[in-house]
This record gives sequence, structure tokens and C-alpha cells, in this order.
Amino acid sequence: MNLSSILLFVISKMDGQRTLNAGFHLLRGKKSGQTLTDVEYFNVKPFFGILPKLEDSTYAKAIDELMEAGLLIQDDKFVCLTQQGNKKVEELPEFHFRGWDYRGREMVFFSRIALLVQTLSYMSKGESSFTPIQRDRDTQLFVKRLLERQPYTDPGFSKRIGDELKMALLQSGMSDVQKYIFACRLTGRSETAKTWDQLAAELGEGTDVLRLLFIESLHRLLPIVEESDDFPFLTKSAFEIKVHSYLTDSALHTKKLFDRGHSMESIASIRNLKMSTIEDHVIEMAMNDKRFPVTHFVSEDQIRAVISKSAEMGTKRLKLLKKEFDTLSYFELRLILTARKDVE
Amino acid sequence: MDLKRVLLERFGYENFRPGQEEVIRHVLDNRDTIAILPTGMGKSLCYQLPGIIMEGSVLIISPLVSLMEDQAMRMRRNGEKQVIALTSFLPYIERQRIIGELQNYKFIFISPEMLTQESFGRQLKRLPISLVVVDEAHCISQWGFDFRPDYLRIGDFLKQSGNPPLLALTATADEKVLNDIQRYLGMENPIVQRHSLDRPNISYSIRQVNSAFEKTKWIKDRVTQTVGPGIIYASSRKRADELAIELQLEGVAVQSYHAGKEQDDRSIIQEQFLSGELEWICATNAFGMGVHKDDIRQVIHDHLPPTVAAYIQEVGRAGRDGRPAAATLLYMQTDEQTTSFIIQSDLPGEEEIRHYTKMVSEGNPPGEAAELASLTETGKRVIDYYRERYPLEEILLRLDRLSNEKNEELQQMTQLVKGGACIRQSALSYFGELCRRKPEECCSNCGLNDSGWLYEKESKKSAKERVSWDERITILLG
Ligand SMILES: Nc1ncnc2c1ncn2[C@@H]1O[C@H](COP(=O)(O)OP(=O)(O)OP(=O)(O)O)[C@@H](O)[C@H]1O
Ligand SMILES: [Zn+2]
Repeated sequence: MNLSSILLFVISKMDGQRTLNAGFHLLRGKKSGQTLTDVEYFNVKPFFGILPKLEDSTYAKAIDELMEAGLLIQDDKFVCLTQQGNKKVEELPEFHFRGWDYRGREMVFFSRIALLVQTLSYMSKGESSFTPIQRDRDTQLFVKRLLERQPYTDPGFSKRIGDELKMALLQSGMSDVQKYIFACRLTGRSETAKTWDQLAAELGEGTDVLRLLFIESLHRLLPIVEESDDFPFLTKSAFEIKVHSYLTDSALHTKKLFDRGHSMESIASIRNLKMSTIEDHVIEMAMNDKRFPVTHFVSEDQIRAVISKSAEMGTKRLKLLKKEFDTLSYFELRLILTARKDVE
Repeated sequence: MDLKRVLLERFGYENFRPGQEEVIRHVLDNRDTIAILPTGMGKSLCYQLPGIIMEGSVLIISPLVSLMEDQAMRMRRNGEKQVIALTSFLPYIERQRIIGELQNYKFIFISPEMLTQESFGRQLKRLPISLVVVDEAHCISQWGFDFRPDYLRIGDFLKQSGNPPLLALTATADEKVLNDIQRYLGMENPIVQRHSLDRPNISYSIRQVNSAFEKTKWIKDRVTQTVGPGIIYASSRKRADELAIELQLEGVAVQSYHAGKEQDDRSIIQEQFLSGELEWICATNAFGMGVHKDDIRQVIHDHLPPTVAAYIQEVGRAGRDGRPAAATLLYMQTDEQTTSFIIQSDLPGEEEIRHYTKMVSEGNPPGEAAELASLTETGKRVIDYYRERYPLEEILLRLDRLSNEKNEELQQMTQLVKGGACIRQSALSYFGELCRRKPEECCSNCGLNDSGWLYEKESKKSAKERVSWDERITILLG
């Protein structure tokens, strides 16, 4: 697994209908209307925000590699796969990301575990003095609360947590390398974690590859501990990691006003925001709520017409559809395409 | 009063370290005191002990949240339960709760920006305060890495709270800095308690070379032939990385450390260095504050530090255990220019300042304006502080003066390196101190014999065996 292979997969999903930037924004988890709509259109939720700190130079390099290998081509604006690229996609291993659910917060989960393990590793051996490996105040408070009224100086207790961790890693279905990376990022009294550079040298892989493997492994581990009763401490460590409101804060604010019966124009003026921003929010709301009243904005007939035309032309490109439906605005078209799933 | 008994009963130490008792006596006499003690020599005892004896709370203002949390933790571990570290990083609710019950705490650590918070200020006024401690007091004076504009507000705060007794603590202070501390904290006739900054167990040497290549070569030879643990200070992240890679190729257990690395990796590297898994660190000046490691044997400078104070502080991380340690600075002709360039690019220029103030006065949000004017984070804070007090032309004047001062400081550092006089003496005289006795291993200008201890290198520990993931968890958790 590496950035290029993920890109190849994502671009194949986008079906030659998006520019190069779309993939970049997707991986970084940009919360703009366009990216959020893309996520839904093209079924790429698992990859949303898996690399929040991706640099554009890194991205450009991965794209160049794909082009040089003859897997990608760019026609005037959009990118799509070559035949060779399509074949390559078939051979890709399955990805297990859950970006939409975690959006980078899997790292918070891991920080908690890292500090928990370090604390127990010292405490269980009767040592209460160590430099916390996690500097973040929230993480420190979280672990402190987690251990309140627990027998944390008891070696039996730390062993129990160790067993819980081992079992969860086994059940998560992550690969052996992933388990190894996970364990090597843990620090304690007798072992110190390894940096990404050190792991890269040891395993003969690039640091980006290792980081992706690590993120994916957390995305496999989290659902396991969220859904099972067998891992009480890991379950607690996963508290509020999964995104519970899929709306951005700003969209949530708009939704409140909308639910109170304000029109889009009225919301725009109350919030002193541009109309296009409010439109993005409405799209976001429609995406996240199956019962969103689309017919507030467009008629059933219009929906049906657009959907069937889109199927007939085999495209979701707004520009092309706009030519066919001159009376509909871009916003209305986007809304229909977003909500189409319910109509189908 | 029998301070020694308190020392033994409450802290378990037989004797005071040099300087401690004097400072404590001044504080107990309610005199404003500036204490200059080398780092790691037990500054915190200077307020802990009086705090126990005096009625009321001790307020400790500290520049770095992480440092103050460490300190509070260490005190708690040593049995002092009435300690709290109050920072703006605490969740709001928790902060309010603590503020509401401040009277329950004897030692209250705060970061300077807390002073501007109203609810805190109000609560503080009701609190009987026996002593205010300003830790790392030199932060009030310096520009750049250490300068904390928030520190300048401490003076205002003290005036409002009726000038409680004050203790300013710092490790490095020359006359100029001392004056600033006095002036900005509004101290009246403070007693200045100075402990010698001389570290007799450290030998200083300076080596002239002709190229960066020669530096690299020297460092490679040195590190493979002599003992660690050690720190190599470089001027840039890139150079730190480069040196680390060169040394790794020689089989040295080394990593680079700088602000460009992700936080987790930085913590890991620090931990590996403390535990001895790493023998060397190649770092920028981001490394060192709050690192408590006593057995550092060597500090090597691959670049010219911007001030003598910075140099002495970095070198002072070596040999805290009292055993011999060596400091080496590699110098080549262009180093002065390189450092000068770095200093100047840290300072906001006239154009940037004008641009920024104009945009802000036109009602743009300061954050955005700073970004557009390409001001650094520190630059913005400084200008914001000045803007409240002075007109634009005055700000420009002041920053101009600052830039000149920076240059002068660099000149002093260059003089130390090129002057050919005893390095120890020159450095000490810069802090207004006389060097009474030179140790045998003084400096390269006095003549150094190749010290035997440097070459007593133990054979390398064989690389750790690779353990599987579940074994590793077992090792950690049992
Ligand atoms: N009188 C004493 N006798 C023996 N040990 C002492 C004495 N005073 C302090 N120490 C020890 O010296 C160490 C350093 O003390 P402290 O934490 O106060 O350092 P510091 O000067 O604040 O250092 P830094 O500037 O690095 O934070 C501590 O471990 C402390 O217990
Ligand atoms: Zn000398």
C-alpha cells in the first residue's frame, strides 16, 4: 500500500469526472461543499481525511509517478485511468480505511493507548516517575480519568490490559506488519517506541507507506473495540473518537436555522454569509440525512428527469447536465444528484 | 531560623547547594531578589522552602506550559499536595473550578497570559500572596526564541496587586538583561544573588575549519572515536538531518531533533536519548529545555550561536553530574554571515510592520493580517504589545534598536570565537564575572591535552534483538 495505489483507486472511482485537485481535497478531508458532495457521488467515504497533513508536493509526486508509469492520463482538465491503469486497479489489495468515520481522530485514540500503556508499564513495576510520552493535555487528563479508582499499580491489572490489547489486535484482521508497527509505536519502562524513520530503515519501506498502514490498522481496530464488550478499556479509550455529527459546525448552525423555518436567503443574511456557503451547507445536510426534504427545493418531476438524463448520458458532470436543464441552477442540480440515492 | 533542619525534614537534603541558602534568606526577609543560578542546580528549592515557612500562597509565573506541568508534577511526587498548574490549555470548566478554589493551593503555577484574564485577576486579589516568583525571568528581555511579550505584562499586574515580594529566577543574565528584569518588573533595590556561572568540569574548545565538508568529517571522526552521550547543535533542520544521516552510516546510534518532526516522534527521540538507546542527538536550538539528563559528556556546535548567552546555555547542558565534559565549537569564515542572516529574517522588517499595522487599523482580523504581512508568531505578539503603547514610528525605532542589539550580541559571540583569549574568562566576563581559578582542562586557547577520558569508549552494545509484536506487549505490560 502506498499513496499512489490509493490515488489510483480513488481516481478510478471518480470515473474521469474530476480534476486532480479533487483527490487531494478528499484525502485531506476538506470540508467544502464540492468535496463533501464528491464523497457521496463517488462512494469514496473511506478515504475522506485519511491524510489531513498531506503536502501538495507529496501529492504531486505520487501523481507524476502514476503518469510516468502510464496508468493515468489527464485530458484537458480531468484525470482518468488508462487501460493499463484499470487493470492495475483490479489487482490492488482491498483497502480497509474508514476515513469518513474517524477523520484523523484515530490518532487521538492511539495517543490515549500509548499513554495508558506507558503509565501502566511504570506503575505496575512500582515506579511513578516518568516523562509522559504524550504532551497533549487532553490526552493526559483522559488517561488520568480512565485510571481513576483502578488498581493501576497491580501487575495483574496491567497484564489484563495487555491481553485485551493483544486479543483486539488479533481480531481486527490487521496484517502482521501492521501489528508490528502498532506495537513498535508503544513506549514503556523497558522499551521505547521507534520513530517512523527507524521503522522505515528496519522494515525497508518508506515512512509514508508505514504511516498509511498504521492509519489503516487503527481504522480496523476501532470498529472492533466499539462494537464488542470484550475490550472494556479499549472501548473506553475509543470514547468520542468516531464522528457523531457528520455535519461541519457551520453547517450545523445553518441546519438549526433551517429547522426553525428560515429560508436560505434569510439564513444567509442572519449569519452574514455568502449564499454559496449556505448552499454548501444545504447539500451537506441532504447528504447526511436520508429524509432531507429535497422537494422543498425541487419538484419530484425535476428529480426524475435529471436522474434519468444523467443515467442516459452516463455522466454526473454538472456542466453537461446544466446544458440540458437550463432552468435549473447548479445548486439545484447538485442537490438532486446528492439526494438521488433515495429516489433510485 | 534553622533552615537546614527544614531542608532535611521536608526535602531530605543534608546541605544547601551553593547560592540556595542566601536566596532563601533574602526571600524570607521580604526583599525583592534576583537569583542567578545555573540550570539544574536547584532553583525551585529557592521558592519551595520559603513557601512552606511563609503564610499565604506562592504564585509562580513560568513561560512554558510543559515545563510548569513537569515542575508541578515533580513537587506533587515529592509529597507537596497543594500544587496546581493553571494554564489556558485547561478546559474552561476545569479552569473555572480551580480558580474558584485557589485558596486551597500553596503553590500556584501560571502562564503569563493568565494574568490578563479577568476572573483570575479578581480571585487573585482576594488571595493572600506571600511571594511572586518569575521563573526564567530573562524571557522578559530577549527577542526571538526566548522572548515572551506576555512577560512584559507582569509589571502591570504586580503594580495592581500592591507589589508583593518578588523573586526573579534566571540561569543566564548579563547586565543588560538584569537591568531589563529590574525595570520591567518594577523592582526596587533588589538584591542580586549571583552564583558563578563557571562550570569547571566543562572544557571549551574552538576549531577553525575551512568548509562544511571539513566540519562533517571532523564530527564523524570525533563521534566514532570519543564518548557520548552528546548533543550536536546545527543551524538548520536540514543540516541536523544531514549530520544525523552521515553519522548513522557510521553505525552511530543517533537521530535528528527539530520542530519539523511530528510531536510523537520528538517525544520518542527524547525518551530514547534519556534511556541511552540513542547516544547522540543532532538538533536545532529546539532541543534542550526541560531535558533532564545528567550524564551528557559532549556538546558540539556545528554553527555559530547568535549570542554568548545562548552558547553558554547550550553548553551548560553537558556534565551536570559534575564529571568531565567537553564543549567544541566548529567555526568557519562564513558562519557569521549565516547566523546574521537567520537573526535578521526572524525580525519583522519595516515594510512588514507598516503593512501589518495598516491592515489592522483598517479593521482586518489581526491573525489574517499577520499572515499576509508574513509576520512570524513571535513578531506578531511583539508588535501587538507595542501597538497598545506606542505610535508606529516609535515601534519602528524600537525594532531598529533591537536589530542593532542583536548584531552587537553576534559580534560578541564572534569575538569570543576569534579573539584567541581564554574562552572561559571571556565568556564569564561577558556576564560580569571574574574567573578566579582556571581548571586544568580549561580551553583550547589555554591549551588542552587530549583528555584521556574522552577516548574511554565502551564497546558498542550489540543491536537489540527484534521482538515480535505480542512479545513486545508482554514486555511492556506483563
Ligand atoms: N540542596 C540540594 N541538595 C541535593 N539535591 C538538590 C538540592 N536542591 C535541589 N536538588 C536537586 O537538584 C535537581 C534539580 O533541581 P530543580 O528541579 O530545582 O532544578 P532547576 O534549577 O529548576 O533546573 P531547570 O532549570 O533545568 O528546571 C532536583 O533533582 C532536585 O531534587
Ligand atoms: Zn582558558
